[in-house]
Amino acid sequence: MGVNDKLPVHAEQSPGGGIITTELNKIFTLTQAKSLWYLLFGTACCAIELMATGASRYDFDRLGMIFRASPRQSDLMIVAGTITYKMAPVVKRLYDQMAEPRYVLAMGGCAIGGGPFHYDSYSVLQGVDKIIPVDVFVPGCPPRPEALLQGCLEVGKKLRTQKIDDWRVR
Amino acid sequence: MTKEELISYIQENFSGKVELIENDMPEPYFLIEPKAIVAFSRFIHDDNKLIMHFLMNLSGVDTKENMEVVYNVCSYRLKHRLFFKTVLPHEKAEVDTVKEIWAVADWHEREAWELFGINFNGHPNLTRFLLPDDWDQGHPLRKDWVGRDVIPFPEGK
Repeated sequence: MGVNDKLPVHAEQSPGGGIITTELNKIFTLTQAKSLWYLLFGTACCAIELMATGASRYDFDRLGMIFRASPRQSDLMIVAGTITYKMAPVVKRLYDQMAEPRYVLAMGGCAIGGGPFHYDSYSVLQGVDKIIPVDVFVPGCPPRPEALLQGCLEVGKKLRTQKIDDWRVR
Repeated sequence: MTKEELISYIQENFSGKVELIENDMPEPYFLIEPKAIVAFSRFIHDDNKLIMHFLMNLSGVDTKENMEVVYNVCSYRLKHRLFFKTVLPHEKAEVDTVKEIWAVADWHEREAWELFGINFNGHPNLTRFLLPDDWDQGHPLRKDWVGRDVIPFPEGK
Protein backbone atom coordinates (compact mmCIF):
# COMPACT_ATOMS: atom_id res chain seq x y z
CA MET A 1 0.00 0.00 0.00
CA GLY A 2 1.60 3.23 -1.16
CA VAL A 3 -0.17 5.38 1.36
CA ASN A 4 0.96 3.21 4.22
CA ASP A 5 4.59 3.51 3.16
CA LYS A 6 4.44 7.28 3.09
CA LEU A 7 2.60 7.79 6.35
CA PRO A 8 4.66 7.33 9.49
CA VAL A 9 1.64 6.11 11.34
CA HIS A 10 0.32 3.15 13.17
CA ALA A 11 -1.52 1.08 10.59
CA GLU A 12 -3.46 -1.98 11.41
CA GLN A 13 -5.43 -4.41 9.41
CA SER A 14 -8.99 -4.41 10.57
CA PRO A 15 -11.03 -7.58 10.21
CA GLY A 16 -12.93 -6.16 7.27
CA GLY A 17 -9.75 -4.62 5.88
CA GLY A 18 -9.02 -1.15 4.50
CA ILE A 19 -8.86 0.81 7.76
CA ILE A 20 -5.83 2.67 9.06
CA THR A 21 -5.42 4.94 12.06
CA THR A 22 -3.45 8.14 11.61
CA GLU A 23 -3.28 11.78 12.57
CA LEU A 24 -5.68 14.06 10.82
CA ASN A 25 -2.83 16.50 10.32
CA LYS A 26 -0.73 13.95 8.45
CA ILE A 27 -3.46 12.92 6.07
CA PHE A 28 -4.48 16.53 5.44
CA THR A 29 -1.03 17.81 4.62
CA LEU A 30 -0.17 14.74 2.56
CA THR A 31 -3.23 15.07 0.41
CA GLN A 32 -2.65 18.76 0.06
CA ALA A 33 0.95 18.30 -0.99
CA LYS A 34 -0.28 15.92 -3.66
CA SER A 35 -2.76 18.37 -5.12
CA LEU A 36 -0.91 21.66 -5.12
CA TRP A 37 -2.86 23.79 -7.55
CA TYR A 38 -0.95 26.78 -8.77
CA LEU A 39 -2.09 30.16 -9.97
CA LEU A 40 -1.91 30.69 -13.71
CA PHE A 41 0.23 33.80 -13.52
CA GLY A 42 3.35 34.76 -15.44
CA THR A 43 4.81 38.15 -16.16
CA ALA A 44 7.86 37.49 -18.34
CA CYS A 45 9.98 34.82 -20.00
CA CYS A 46 9.94 32.53 -16.92
CA ALA A 47 6.27 32.01 -17.75
CA ILE A 48 7.34 30.25 -20.95
CA GLU A 49 9.39 27.83 -18.88
CA LEU A 50 6.45 27.46 -16.49
CA MET A 51 4.25 26.54 -19.43
CA ALA A 52 6.86 24.06 -20.66
CA THR A 53 6.89 22.49 -17.22
CA GLY A 54 3.13 22.20 -17.30
CA ALA A 55 3.14 20.66 -20.76
CA SER A 56 3.50 17.01 -21.60
CA ARG A 57 7.28 16.51 -21.51
CA TYR A 58 7.73 17.55 -17.87
CA ASP A 59 4.10 17.21 -16.89
CA PHE A 60 3.24 19.04 -13.69
CA ASP A 61 0.06 17.02 -13.59
CA ARG A 62 1.84 13.88 -12.43
CA LEU A 63 2.53 15.71 -9.15
CA GLY A 64 -1.14 16.58 -8.93
CA MET A 65 -0.39 20.16 -9.94
CA ILE A 66 -2.77 21.82 -12.32
CA PHE A 67 -3.11 25.50 -13.02
CA ARG A 68 -6.10 27.48 -11.86
CA ALA A 69 -7.04 30.75 -13.46
CA SER A 70 -8.43 32.10 -10.20
CA PRO A 71 -6.49 32.93 -7.02
CA ARG A 72 -9.46 31.70 -4.99
CA GLN A 73 -8.81 28.13 -6.13
CA SER A 74 -5.01 28.22 -5.89
CA ASP A 75 -2.71 26.93 -3.18
CA LEU A 76 0.56 28.02 -4.72
CA MET A 77 1.58 31.21 -6.46
CA ILE A 78 4.52 30.77 -8.81
CA VAL A 79 5.87 34.26 -9.41
CA ALA A 80 7.27 33.64 -12.89
CA GLY A 81 8.95 36.73 -14.24
CA THR A 82 9.91 40.34 -13.71
CA ILE A 83 7.67 42.28 -11.35
CA THR A 84 7.56 45.96 -12.17
CA TYR A 85 6.45 48.63 -9.73
CA LYS A 86 3.27 48.94 -11.74
CA MET A 87 2.59 45.20 -11.44
CA ALA A 88 3.52 44.98 -7.73
CA PRO A 89 0.08 46.04 -6.36
CA VAL A 90 -1.54 43.44 -8.62
CA VAL A 91 0.72 40.69 -7.28
CA LYS A 92 -0.06 41.79 -3.75
CA ARG A 93 -3.78 41.75 -4.43
CA LEU A 94 -3.64 38.29 -6.05
CA TYR A 95 -1.77 37.00 -3.01
CA ASP A 96 -4.35 38.52 -0.69
CA GLN A 97 -7.16 36.90 -2.66
CA MET A 98 -5.70 33.41 -2.29
CA ALA A 99 -7.25 31.30 0.44
CA GLU A 100 -5.18 29.94 3.34
CA PRO A 101 -3.02 27.91 3.35
CA ARG A 102 -1.13 29.61 0.57
CA TYR A 103 2.43 29.32 -0.61
CA VAL A 104 4.65 31.41 -2.84
CA LEU A 105 7.46 30.21 -5.07
CA ALA A 106 9.72 32.90 -6.54
CA MET A 107 10.92 31.62 -9.89
CA GLY A 108 14.01 33.04 -11.58
CA GLY A 109 16.41 35.90 -10.96
CA CYS A 110 13.90 38.71 -11.51
CA ALA A 111 11.43 37.48 -8.90
CA ILE A 112 14.27 36.78 -6.44
CA GLY A 113 16.16 40.05 -6.62
CA GLY A 114 15.57 41.96 -9.83
CA GLY A 115 17.83 39.76 -11.94
CA PRO A 116 19.30 41.63 -14.91
CA PHE A 117 17.26 44.66 -13.85
CA HIS A 118 18.87 44.90 -10.44
CA TYR A 119 21.09 47.89 -11.22
CA ASP A 120 20.06 51.20 -12.76
CA SER A 121 16.41 50.28 -13.06
CA TYR A 122 13.61 52.77 -12.51
CA SER A 123 10.78 50.31 -12.99
CA VAL A 124 11.59 46.85 -11.59
CA LEU A 125 10.83 45.65 -8.09
CA GLN A 126 14.02 44.29 -6.55
CA GLY A 127 12.63 40.94 -5.47
CA VAL A 128 9.06 39.85 -4.90
CA ASP A 129 9.83 39.10 -1.24
CA LYS A 130 9.63 42.85 -0.64
CA ILE A 131 5.85 42.69 -0.98
CA ILE A 132 4.77 39.11 -0.21
CA PRO A 133 6.30 36.31 1.88
CA VAL A 134 8.16 33.77 -0.25
CA ASP A 135 8.51 30.10 0.75
CA VAL A 136 10.85 28.77 -1.92
CA PHE A 137 13.29 30.52 -4.24
CA VAL A 138 14.25 28.82 -7.50
CA PRO A 139 17.26 30.57 -9.08
CA GLY A 140 18.00 30.57 -12.80
CA CYS A 141 17.41 32.80 -15.77
CA PRO A 142 15.05 31.15 -16.41
CA PRO A 143 15.29 27.96 -14.29
CA ARG A 144 15.11 24.64 -16.07
CA PRO A 145 11.80 22.78 -15.72
CA GLU A 146 13.60 20.23 -13.56
CA ALA A 147 14.59 23.00 -11.16
CA LEU A 148 11.02 24.26 -11.01
CA LEU A 149 9.75 20.75 -10.34
CA GLN A 150 12.31 20.43 -7.55
CA GLY A 151 11.15 23.76 -6.13
CA CYS A 152 7.55 22.59 -6.11
CA LEU A 153 8.58 19.38 -4.32
CA GLU A 154 10.31 21.61 -1.74
CA VAL A 155 7.05 23.51 -1.28
CA GLY A 156 5.38 20.15 -0.69
CA LYS A 157 8.02 19.24 1.88
CA LYS A 158 7.54 22.53 3.71
CA LEU A 159 3.79 22.10 3.56
CA ARG A 160 4.00 18.73 5.23
CA THR A 161 5.83 20.16 8.22
CA GLN A 162 2.96 22.49 8.99
CA LYS A 163 0.03 21.92 11.32
CA ILE A 164 -3.55 22.40 10.29
CA ASP A 165 -4.08 24.34 13.51
CA ASP A 166 -1.69 26.98 12.18
CA TRP A 167 -3.91 27.70 9.20
CA ARG A 168 -6.68 29.05 11.36
CA VAL A 169 -4.37 31.21 13.43
CA ARG A 170 -2.69 32.93 10.46
CA MET B 1 11.15 55.53 -54.92
CA THR B 2 14.77 54.76 -54.27
CA LYS B 3 16.78 56.55 -51.62
CA GLU B 4 18.33 59.00 -54.12
CA GLU B 5 14.97 59.80 -55.70
CA LEU B 6 13.41 60.41 -52.30
CA ILE B 7 16.26 62.72 -51.27
CA SER B 8 16.13 64.81 -54.42
CA TYR B 9 12.31 64.98 -54.43
CA ILE B 10 12.10 66.13 -50.81
CA GLN B 11 14.94 68.62 -51.19
CA GLU B 12 13.21 70.10 -54.25
CA ASN B 13 9.91 70.58 -52.48
CA PHE B 14 11.24 71.54 -49.08
CA SER B 15 14.45 73.35 -49.99
CA GLY B 16 16.12 75.24 -47.20
CA LYS B 17 13.97 73.75 -44.44
CA VAL B 18 15.41 70.24 -44.45
CA GLU B 19 18.96 69.13 -43.90
CA LEU B 20 20.13 65.74 -45.08
CA ILE B 21 22.00 63.58 -42.57
CA GLU B 22 24.46 61.35 -44.39
CA ASN B 23 24.15 57.71 -43.40
CA ASP B 24 24.69 54.16 -44.62
CA MET B 25 21.10 53.12 -44.07
CA PRO B 26 18.83 52.24 -47.00
CA GLU B 27 16.52 55.11 -45.99
CA PRO B 28 17.09 58.86 -46.23
CA TYR B 29 17.45 60.65 -42.89
CA PHE B 30 16.55 64.32 -42.55
CA LEU B 31 16.97 66.93 -39.86
CA ILE B 32 13.97 69.26 -39.66
CA GLU B 33 13.38 72.50 -37.79
CA PRO B 34 10.98 71.99 -34.84
CA LYS B 35 8.63 74.63 -36.27
CA ALA B 36 8.44 72.87 -39.64
CA ILE B 37 7.60 69.42 -38.31
CA VAL B 38 3.84 69.65 -38.82
CA ALA B 39 4.13 71.19 -42.30
CA PHE B 40 6.68 68.59 -43.34
CA SER B 41 4.59 65.73 -41.94
CA ARG B 42 1.50 67.02 -43.68
CA PHE B 43 3.45 67.27 -46.95
CA ILE B 44 4.87 63.73 -46.92
CA HIS B 45 1.51 62.34 -45.80
CA ASP B 46 -0.57 64.03 -48.48
CA ASP B 47 1.83 64.18 -51.42
CA ASN B 48 0.89 61.83 -54.24
CA LYS B 49 4.45 60.71 -54.86
CA LEU B 50 5.23 59.98 -51.20
CA ILE B 51 1.97 58.84 -49.49
CA MET B 52 3.60 58.25 -46.12
CA HIS B 53 0.45 56.94 -44.50
CA PHE B 54 2.09 54.96 -41.73
CA LEU B 55 4.09 56.31 -38.80
CA MET B 56 6.15 53.29 -37.81
CA ASN B 57 7.73 54.81 -34.75
CA LEU B 58 8.11 58.05 -32.88
CA SER B 59 10.61 58.16 -30.08
CA GLY B 60 12.44 60.57 -27.86
CA VAL B 61 16.21 60.59 -27.55
CA ASP B 62 18.40 62.26 -24.94
CA THR B 63 21.88 63.01 -26.28
CA LYS B 64 22.94 64.94 -23.15
CA GLU B 65 23.39 68.16 -25.21
CA ASN B 66 19.91 68.10 -26.73
CA MET B 67 16.64 66.28 -26.80
CA GLU B 68 15.60 64.76 -30.08
CA VAL B 69 12.39 63.36 -31.49
CA VAL B 70 12.85 60.77 -34.22
CA TYR B 71 10.07 59.89 -36.65
CA ASN B 72 10.10 56.76 -38.82
CA VAL B 73 7.48 56.71 -41.53
CA CYS B 74 6.78 54.43 -44.45
CA SER B 75 4.41 54.01 -47.36
CA TYR B 76 2.76 50.66 -47.79
CA ARG B 77 1.50 51.61 -51.21
CA LEU B 78 4.77 52.80 -52.71
CA LYS B 79 7.05 50.61 -50.55
CA HIS B 80 9.52 53.23 -49.38
CA ARG B 81 10.59 54.53 -46.04
CA LEU B 82 11.84 57.80 -44.61
CA PHE B 83 13.35 58.82 -41.29
CA PHE B 84 13.51 62.32 -39.93
CA LYS B 85 14.26 63.95 -36.63
CA THR B 86 14.13 67.27 -34.89
CA VAL B 87 16.48 68.64 -32.25
CA LEU B 88 15.11 70.45 -29.20
CA PRO B 89 16.82 72.28 -26.34
CA HIS B 90 17.13 70.34 -23.11
CA GLU B 91 15.40 72.85 -20.85
CA LYS B 92 12.46 73.64 -23.10
CA ALA B 93 11.78 70.53 -25.16
CA GLU B 94 8.63 71.40 -27.08
CA VAL B 95 7.38 70.41 -30.50
CA ASP B 96 3.96 70.47 -32.15
CA THR B 97 1.95 67.27 -32.18
CA VAL B 98 1.50 65.21 -35.35
CA LYS B 99 -1.49 63.41 -33.92
CA GLU B 100 -3.82 65.02 -36.45
CA ILE B 101 -1.76 63.56 -39.30
CA TRP B 102 -1.03 60.08 -37.94
CA ALA B 103 -3.45 59.00 -35.21
CA VAL B 104 -0.94 56.46 -33.91
CA ALA B 105 1.27 59.33 -32.78
CA ASP B 106 -1.12 59.78 -29.85
CA TRP B 107 0.38 57.03 -27.71
CA HIS B 108 3.90 57.47 -29.04
CA GLU B 109 3.87 61.10 -28.00
CA ARG B 110 2.44 60.23 -24.61
CA GLU B 111 5.30 57.77 -24.16
CA ALA B 112 7.93 60.32 -25.19
CA TRP B 113 6.40 62.85 -22.82
CA GLU B 114 6.23 60.40 -19.95
CA LEU B 115 9.75 59.02 -20.22
CA PHE B 116 11.63 62.02 -21.64
CA GLY B 117 9.54 65.02 -20.67
CA ILE B 118 9.16 66.25 -24.24
CA ASN B 119 6.09 68.45 -24.53
CA PHE B 120 3.90 68.00 -27.56
CA ASN B 121 1.92 71.20 -28.08
CA GLY B 122 -1.66 70.60 -29.06
CA HIS B 123 -1.80 67.02 -27.83
CA PRO B 124 -5.20 66.61 -26.22
CA ASN B 125 -4.37 63.96 -23.65
CA LEU B 126 -0.77 64.08 -22.51
CA THR B 127 -1.19 61.81 -19.48
CA ARG B 128 0.65 58.99 -17.82
CA PHE B 129 0.11 55.44 -19.02
CA LEU B 130 3.33 53.40 -18.75
CA LEU B 131 4.68 54.27 -15.32
CA PRO B 132 2.71 53.59 -12.12
CA ASP B 133 -0.24 55.89 -11.57
CA ASP B 134 1.26 57.41 -8.43
CA TRP B 135 4.65 58.08 -10.03
CA ASP B 136 6.19 61.30 -8.74
CA GLN B 137 9.84 61.08 -9.79
CA GLY B 138 9.83 62.88 -13.10
CA HIS B 139 10.93 61.51 -16.44
CA PRO B 140 13.18 58.48 -15.89
CA LEU B 141 14.86 58.13 -19.29
CA ARG B 142 16.47 61.57 -19.15
CA LYS B 143 20.22 61.36 -18.73
CA ASP B 144 20.22 63.71 -15.73
CA TRP B 145 17.47 61.82 -13.93
CA VAL B 146 18.23 60.52 -10.44
CA GLY B 147 15.86 57.95 -8.99
CA ARG B 148 14.94 57.35 -5.40
CA ASP B 149 15.09 53.54 -5.31
CA VAL B 150 17.63 53.00 -8.06
CA ILE B 151 20.66 50.88 -7.17
CA PRO B 152 23.58 52.34 -9.14
CA PHE B 153 25.80 50.01 -11.09
CA PRO B 154 29.02 49.47 -9.12
CA GLU B 155 32.05 51.34 -10.43
CA GLY B 156 34.79 49.39 -12.16
CA LYS B 157 32.69 46.40 -13.18
